[in-house]
Amino acid sequence: MGLITVTGAPGARHEETARLIAQRLGFELISETRLAALIEEEFAPAGSLPERVYPELMTSIVARLATQHHLVVSADGAELALPEFPGLLRVYIVAPESRRVGVLMVEHRLDRPAARELLHKLEAEEKLRRRRRFGRGLRRMENFDLVINTERLEPEEAAEIVAAAATNRGIIEQGLLSPAAEAHLQFQVRLKLSRYGIAPAGKLTLKPRRFSHPSEEIFANLLDFYRVAWEYEPRTFPLQWDKHGNVIESFTPDFYLPQFDLYVELTTMKQSLVTKKNRKIKLLRQIYPDINIQVFYQKDFENLIFKYGLTRPPANPPSRPASGGARSSTPEPAASTTR
Amino acid sequence: MSAPPIPEIERILFTEEQIERRIREVADEISERYRHGDLKLVGVLKGAVFFLTALARAIRIPVKIDFLSISSFSTRPAAPGVVRIAKDLDESIEGEDVLLVEDIVDTGFTARYLLQTLAARGPNSLAICTLLDRTPRRIVQVPVEFRCFEIPDRFVIGFGLDYKQFYRNLGYIAVIKPDWEQRGFNL
Repeated sequence: MGLITVTGAPGARHEETARLIAQRLGFELISETRLAALIEEEFAPAGSLPERVYPELMTSIVARLATQHHLVVSADGAELALPEFPGLLRVYIVAPESRRVGVLMVEHRLDRPAARELLHKLEAEEKLRRRRRFGRGLRRMENFDLVINTERLEPEEAAEIVAAAATNRGIIEQGLLSPAAEAHLQFQVRLKLSRYGIAPAGKLTLKPRRFSHPSEEIFANLLDFYRVAWEYEPRTFPLQWDKHGNVIESFTPDFYLPQFDLYVELTTMKQSLVTKKNRKIKLLRQIYPDINIQVFYQKDFENLIFKYGLTRPPANPPSRPASGGARSSTPEPAASTTR
Repeated sequence: MSAPPIPEIERILFTEEQIERRIREVADEISERYRHGDLKLVGVLKGAVFFLTALARAIRIPVKIDFLSISSFSTRPAAPGVVRIAKDLDESIEGEDVLLVEDIVDTGFTARYLLQTLAARGPNSLAICTLLDRTPRRIVQVPVEFRCFEIPDRFVIGFGLDYKQFYRNLGYIAVIKPDWEQRGFNL
């Protein structure tokens, strides 16, 4: 099976590199946030479990998924938690501190001194977390197969190097993890977890990413192009309950963008359905005031996809037809440097 | 205001005089903010060229300029690719006060990518100056320190902004008619 772990220090842009590797090789990406959601689904919310069983939780999740997919796992400590896997390639992304400070400046909208302070805080927290989870605060370079410095290499160049290494080692040709190997790993995991009274539900599967509307796929492609991490329908919000506490109405936004903590709902439907959806979104905002959600209406979306040359404007446009942007409004496959 | 000189234009949004006056105001702010700095204007080809040169002329402190361009989205499913720098800066920006000069910020995707890329190169500071800010389209929040005009969610041309690569050279900024596309606009 193909299992590539991609980790790095805060601000090293390893998540972005991981995403590019997954895209390039057609692997499933398990990011830190996705892993946390899967652990919660299979076991319990992360905060309610002892930190020291984290390696086993990670192994259990990855073993299950590895029988169905080749994986890129971008979660801290993955190189330690998953050493028994065949076809494993462990990658560590490094970058000089000045670069990592620069990344945090943009991501957290800070000036340089504040970003440096944040970096040191994040590094200290990470060290502490690693010590609790893996018994070791510092990373050892001999735990990695490939260490890439992105001082001069862009994330896509790093991704290309990793893809070449994966191809060279023939990790895809080894096939997926066999059910027997998974059973063996799960047995070891359960043995350890049983000491803490934790039992996996054994229900874990990755929802196939089947977009329910072509516009969703286009939007996903656009996010991929701009290297924006996304998850498709990761969370359902209950909106109404009956008197027994059963959920009778809920809402599942189309996308979640973890970097911005933002849900995006694409609304490409009839006006009557839009009204219904607007009511749900209003309810969602009342019940979950901390949730950020942005709604994209059909008109906005047509503008966007026309602007990016994704489709021609409709033959019979609504009263306000495709008005694009002025960056690159050629409705043909892209010229290389238009803006 | 006199009739628009091009029939496909619905209305002129900002005249040459309005643009010139506003650029001078923003240039004053920039000159003040960076009076002790080491300012470099980084323009994003091609749209920002007109704005950058006008802005640079109105700035009253020493200023360097450089340009870059990025690849654009491809519709070919086999090669969706990712955004990348198509033409990089000629010189390093390490230790400099970099002002990224854009013609327009709308979804924020491009601006965010460029900020991330440039921030990793060790500038002393990094900020965005845009001619037009179309906030109704924003998906990704990016800090815009200097903006000349906020605009509604309409297709605009002129002063560097194109329609199929034309009309960048108009001195004013105009909104095109909604039915322009359907008329089979040809040049």
